[in-house]
Amino acid sequence: MRRKRYFRKAVLADTVVTYLVLVVVCFLFFFPVLWLVLASFSNTGSIYDLAGFFPSSFSLNGYKTLFTDTRMYDYPNWLKNTLFVSVFSSLIGTTLVILTAYTISRFQFSGRKLLMKSTLVLSMFPSFMGMTAVYLLMVNFGLINQLWSLVLIYSAGAPMGYLVQKGYFDTISGSIYEAARLDGANNFKVFLRITLPLSKPMLVYTALTQFAWPWSDFILPNLLLKNKDLWTVAVGLMHLDETEFTRFAAGAIFIAVPIVILYFALSGFLVTGISAGADKG
Amino acid sequence: MKKVESGKKKTSLPVKASLCVMGTGQLLYRQWIKGFLYLAVFAGFLWYLAAMGIKDIIGMFTLGTVQADPWLGTEGDDSVIMMLRGILAVIVICGAALLYRSNVRDIKRTDEMIRAGKPLPGFFKATGMFLDRKFYMVALALPVAGVLVFNVLPIVFMILIAFTNYGGDIVPPKLVDWVGLDNFRRILTLSDIKGTFFRILGWNIIWAFAATFINYFGGLGLALLLNKKCVKGKRFWRMFPILAYAVPGFITLLAFKFLFSYGGPINYYITAAGHSAVGFLDIDAGIKAKLIGLFVNAWTSIPTSMLLATGILSNMNMDLYEAASIDGASKWQQFIKITLPFVVFSTTPVLITSFTGNFNNFGVFYFLRGGLYMDGYFLASDTDLLINWLYNLSINNNYYSIGAAVSLIIFAITSLFSLSVYVRSSAYKKEDTYR
Repeated sequence: MRRKRYFRKAVLADTVVTYLVLVVVCFLFFFPVLWLVLASFSNTGSIYDLAGFFPSSFSLNGYKTLFTDTRMYDYPNWLKNTLFVSVFSSLIGTTLVILTAYTISRFQFSGRKLLMKSTLVLSMFPSFMGMTAVYLLMVNFGLINQLWSLVLIYSAGAPMGYLVQKGYFDTISGSIYEAARLDGANNFKVFLRITLPLSKPMLVYTALTQFAWPWSDFILPNLLLKNKDLWTVAVGLMHLDETEFTRFAAGAIFIAVPIVILYFALSGFLVTGISAGADKG
Repeated sequence: MKKVESGKKKTSLPVKASLCVMGTGQLLYRQWIKGFLYLAVFAGFLWYLAAMGIKDIIGMFTLGTVQADPWLGTEGDDSVIMMLRGILAVIVICGAALLYRSNVRDIKRTDEMIRAGKPLPGFFKATGMFLDRKFYMVALALPVAGVLVFNVLPIVFMILIAFTNYGGDIVPPKLVDWVGLDNFRRILTLSDIKGTFFRILGWNIIWAFAATFINYFGGLGLALLLNKKCVKGKRFWRMFPILAYAVPGFITLLAFKFLFSYGGPINYYITAAGHSAVGFLDIDAGIKAKLIGLFVNAWTSIPTSMLLATGILSNMNMDLYEAASIDGASKWQQFIKITLPFVVFSTTPVLITSFTGNFNNFGVFYFLRGGLYMDGYFLASDTDLLINWLYNLSINNNYYSIGAAVSLIIFAITSLFSLSVYVRSSAYKKEDTYR
């Protein structure tokens, strides 16, 4: 009897401690975001006007100036540039990744192993090393200050991360393809009529991840876009200092909200996507 | 002697012709379109070699001999362009060699078909068949070309740069030269650079281990916590880390910079309590800045490893735990003996990538303390990792060749580490144990 009561007490204590830790951890994750959201509704612009974590008065001024006061910081233009780069990188990049992953998953050809191994070795080079070289190349060929060169670099680099998609295609049984082949469809038709419709969820996932990457990248645009008119949101926000804090917060929230919604909509996929990488190595 | 000779197939004239000049054999067999195409490629290649190729290859070795002189009006050689054209020439020659091989294979196949008395397919039909049979080649052509141009070419270029004296004062129009291992010698022996390199390397290694450890076990712990039976509303609790995961990295990092800045809320409360403001990220912040870096990195990375651990834990065999608790194993023993081996086994590859990712973590200190140069460091500060130093060297200060050498050293360290861990890991040794 006493033992049982002791046991129950231990369970209760365990539950309380668990919840306590959970609340603390979740607060740590939530608070900086909440702080940024509140700051974006601050009435005044500078970080010094905030009373600690909280604005002294609230208004929509931050968002209003973001879109109307474009003399120094042209946020709508940044947004336009970011959208341009992200949309086109996503379109081209997705096509290339899907093609690569499908081909490597479906066909056995000479050089396949070599191809897979060389992508592994390539991915071990610090990504930054390639980027310095890309920068030097672009400078030498006069391709900096071009949004298109960003699109090219993003989409050309996309096939390097084909493993998740390959893992997906590996699960589609080969007999479907064989049947279609017997019916006389050539490989291109098989890809269009069978593979693509079957891989809709993977297409969506790929397109979104390919979109999110340029959407939130700062290294490449910062390197290649020296011209103020061409800045993307990431580059622009980096140039805002403490006195423009509300503008920063509003701009950050505005660009983060779509991505956050996408991630929540896709949170099931994320787990499979991340663990697919773990499984295949 | 004669018998052996007759047993061997005699090489026919068209095959010999194609071995010498691409396409001529096909023409002899009246395959006009194919023959002329091969011939055109052959002619084009010869023209390229004569007009540019040979000069470009030589140029890659000399890197230019004539320096531009505006007073005399001489147009000098641009060493960087010459190196790039040299790389391009090597690629073209490799491509031509591949086409030559396909030409030889093609004529041999045709030859065999004719000997066997089979009819030859027409050009367009043959092309169609080829494209279908070699669908993988068609499909991969564009991705591979893209990766070659935007990933392989820059890396090759950077590797070559590491062995030149490009950068500093020596940028075109001045001539660049090959200097062998000088850059590596400078990094490893020259006083100012050497000191910086080893100090940064030491901190970089500590950082990589600490950050990987914190992120990995933080994520695993959080996943286990959320997996507990007593936790109700798992989806609700999981929302918070996913929220942190979804906010773009640069926003998080900039927000943390503001959080710890002089005007930030933390300093507000410190000054309100009557103390003087603390420069958390100032140049003399020392250990404070490093700890903040670890914290910020944990904030951005723990959600990822939590999602990963959740996925893996959901694949676990729960019977093991029941058996263990019947045998009287404590919670801690169960964790050490069952959970940990399983999770570590299935995540070894991720652990490796996360280690190299942390080793090369550019963002955290770029945003928190970018552009600080400290006394006693050559263009770096005490929180900079090698990758940040690389950025300072090559992008901000034009020390291209030293930067390239540093990046090769980073590559050597990370790849050696990954390989040795991977080969030793149980995931590699006994792939089938848990499957």
